Order: sequence, then structure tokens, then C-alpha cells
Amino acid sequence: MSASLLYFDRFGKPEDELAIIERAKRNPEHFAPLYKKYHEAIFKYVIKRVDEEESAYDITSCVFIKALTNLPKYEYRGIPFSSWLFRIAKSELYQSFRDKKAQRTVSIDSMQLGKVMEEFQLDESEHKRDVLLKVLPLLKESQLQLIEMRFFEKRSFREMGEILELTENNAKVKTFRALIKLKELYAKHNNQK
Amino acid sequence: MTKLLIDRQLPSSESIATRRNFNAILDGLPKKKTINSPWFYGAIGFSTVFLLILLNFFI
Repeated sequence: MSASLLYFDRFGKPEDELAIIERAKRNPEHFAPLYKKYHEAIFKYVIKRVDEEESAYDITSCVFIKALTNLPKYEYRGIPFSSWLFRIAKSELYQSFRDKKAQRTVSIDSMQLGKVMEEFQLDESEHKRDVLLKVLPLLKESQLQLIEMRFFEKRSFREMGEILELTENNAKVKTFRALIKLKELYAKHNNQK
Repeated sequence: MTKLLIDRQLPSSESIATRRNFNAILDGLPKKKTINSPWFYGAIGFSTVFLLILLNFFI
């Protein structure tokens, strides 16, 4: 199955959602099925980026309040509703970091870190893993979020582009550049040891 | 400074679902104005409201 089909399987057909959205524009109470459908996905997106669970629940609530408030402005232009919600989540997260209500965190699974090491053609030694973990936070935020979405959340370039307001190709190119930067930082810090 | 958390235990789907509260979201929405400005009712409406205020003042 292609990545795009998997992507739509994950969040359902856009036509079904559009009917709910149109009803919710007239009466916010009709938004309930979409809230139920996306609450977990948005919460997981948020909690992977903040250190405290309670902050993640608060930010998730703010995302849905903002989405409902701005729903009359929402128009379907080929971008799934889920991506629109993730964009709001991204903006709410950065607002929380600016207000110092939450600490920027990157949640990494050891298995997924192994994938980055594979990309670097590194064997999984403790030392190499430690150097990689040391240099990851040195990336620019824009580069870190690309690595995070691609390798730690396994998102497709298409979905990344939709969330980050980039074309699919641009998301691919920028991720590639972020990897090169990470490799450079890795080499620099590995040689210092 | 960005914090890295390795193999973090995230809450289960069940536990996330217990924190779902759509009523709280509806309560968090900005309240709509219940009293409209006199201009909302148009020229006739505005004149009526204005007359009522005048009458109220003189009676």
C-alpha cells in the first residue's frame, strides 16, 4: 500500500469530515465526532514535544478551542483537516515555549534512534549513540523538527509538508539538509573526543 | 535548551480517552455577544431604540 493511501486510511476520507465541518461551522456541538477522532493524535503530537503530561493536556485543549473558534475560516484546499489541526498544535506549542509554560522536549525511541544511526552508517555503540544524542539539540529548531517528524514519528514527506506548510519536495530537501547538518555536527563532536 | 527523553513511557490510549472532555472545549469558546449594537437592527430599528430611550428619559 502506498504511503498516501496509508495516510488517508489513518484519518479517514476527507469528504466525510467536510460534511461534519460544515455542520460544526453552524453549531459547534457538531464538532464532537472530530474532537473524538483527533484528540489522541493531537495529544501524542504535543506530549512528544513537552516534558509535562498536564501541560500536554492543557495545550491539546487550547488546540481544539482555537480550531473551533477559527473553524468558520477553514476551507478545504486539498490539505486534510488533520494537517490543519497539527498546524494549530504546532503554533500553540511554540506559544507555550515562548511563554515558558512548557519545556521543548524531543521524545526518542531507542529503535528509532537506531534508524538515524543506520542513515549515518554507524554501528550502534554506546559512545556513538551518546555523541548523536549530544549533537541533536544543537540543530536549529526548524531542522530538529524535520528530523523528529521523519525519523522519530515516521511521518511521510507529504504529511510533513502539509503540517510545516512546505511542498512535499521541499520537505524532502530540507530533511536531507538537516541530516547533512547533523552529520557535520556529529563528525565535529566525535573528533573532539 | 531542548530536552531529550529516551524511551519515554507515554500514557495509554485508554488513559488519554479518559481526559477527553468536549464540554470543556465548548465552555472554553469565546462567548458570543447577546446584546447587539443598535446599528445591527438597521435605520428603523435604531430609530425605535432611540425613541424608546427618549421616551424613557421624558416619562
